[in-house]
Amino acid sequence: MKNIIELLKRHFVFVLFLFLFVFSLAVLFSSNRYHNASFVSQSSDWVGKIYDWRDQLQRYLRLKEINDQLALENANLRSQLPDNYFFIDTTKHSVQDSIRKQRYFYRSAKVSNASVNRESNYLTLDRGRLGGILPNMGVITNGSVVGVVSSVSDHFSVVLPILNPKFQESVKMKGSGDFGLIAWPPGSDPAYADVKDIPKHVQVSIGDTVLTTGYGSHFPADLFIGFVSELNDQPEENFHRIKIQLATDFRKLSYVQVVGDILKQEQDSLLIQQQQRDGVEDDN
Amino acid sequence: MGSKTITSFFRIVFLLFLQALVVSRLQLLDGFVLPWVYIFGILMLPFDTPKWLVLILSFVTGYFMDLFTGPMGMHMTACVVLGWLQPMIQRLLSPREGYDAIQEPTIQKMGLSWYLTYAGILTFCHHFVLFYAETLRITPFWYQLGHIIFSAMGTLMLMVVGQYLIFNKKVKN
Repeated sequence: MKNIIELLKRHFVFVLFLFLFVFSLAVLFSSNRYHNASFVSQSSDWVGKIYDWRDQLQRYLRLKEINDQLALENANLRSQLPDNYFFIDTTKHSVQDSIRKQRYFYRSAKVSNASVNRESNYLTLDRGRLGGILPNMGVITNGSVVGVVSSVSDHFSVVLPILNPKFQESVKMKGSGDFGLIAWPPGSDPAYADVKDIPKHVQVSIGDTVLTTGYGSHFPADLFIGFVSELNDQPEENFHRIKIQLATDFRKLSYVQVVGDILKQEQDSLLIQQQQRDGVEDDN
Repeated sequence: MGSKTITSFFRIVFLLFLQALVVSRLQLLDGFVLPWVYIFGILMLPFDTPKWLVLILSFVTGYFMDLFTGPMGMHMTACVVLGWLQPMIQRLLSPREGYDAIQEPTIQKMGLSWYLTYAGILTFCHHFVLFYAETLRITPFWYQLGHIIFSAMGTLMLMVVGQYLIFNKKVKN
């Protein structure tokens, strides 16, 4: 026993190093698996405040650009007002109105920190649980997709943007409606992403629009994701290799809208019920 | 202990903020060169700092850097390795008469070539561990190695230029 203590004393620094190193590795691997939720939420509020302070300074310098962006968005929204449309067929439209119910709601938030040039990028928003934001809500800006909320603290939330390999969402081609998956090669150019799993028999040409499907219930259907910019089809594969230019400019993100789905729980629980029922039948 | 310790402490805190608020925002060659100058605080610790204190300080520095940059653990791992290697490299590069008369590893006191060797080895090791802790894969090998080497060179350059800017007056007096 005495010898062991002597040994520990002599190699105290090395033992300390090993201890800290193993501890760091444990933190590294656990945070990679769980979207860094547990370690960051304890202190993300004050780090968020520091970033918020820096962002206020930066936003002041970019006021003109943001004004332009807001004016553009105002114009877009104003053009969507019902007054701007007339009904072609009154009976049809009046019936639709009476059975229509709101499904998605939007909350605006400000980006207080963002990375675009890392292997896995994250955004921080200045609204959290108290602002009505919950994990798995979609995040959009000017009608184009940004990402999905991954964790929230009281006043801040962390978003997995398209520019993160963990981001998964189904997408569809505007014309044909065929759907595939969007994937961002880690560390690549933040203006582009890949679309996978669209079979070869579907005709795709450069300039085609890529939209959300609305299946995942993070986003409503038909939001912009981007435009096809390159086709690198390989003869031996059955699927297209599509490169798209993203509609969102992640380098200039400033204000975003967080989308909540009122019927999400209902949709999810129905699916789970069905799956459980099928599971029971399989056992029999 | 005393004023030297306090200076070192505030230097580390200042560099953490400098890194998080300014340097991390630099987009050199679309993020291909990503300098991490906050390790300067660890490299500048006086020669007589106990080894265990160097380790603990590195660990804490890495923890706070992780809070600023995202997934926890990356900077902690890299800094613990840095804090372990720092005294070893110092001993390896020690001049014949030892470090008695000299208190801090600066260019002015140790010379440029000594400093480049010392800081170069440590910066490369830190960036190497940091980068692989971040990606956890080794596939585009040459691209990744280029990223590490050029980022380390960026860090080194900022640290050397920073020293010439900050310590120049002290030497003249």
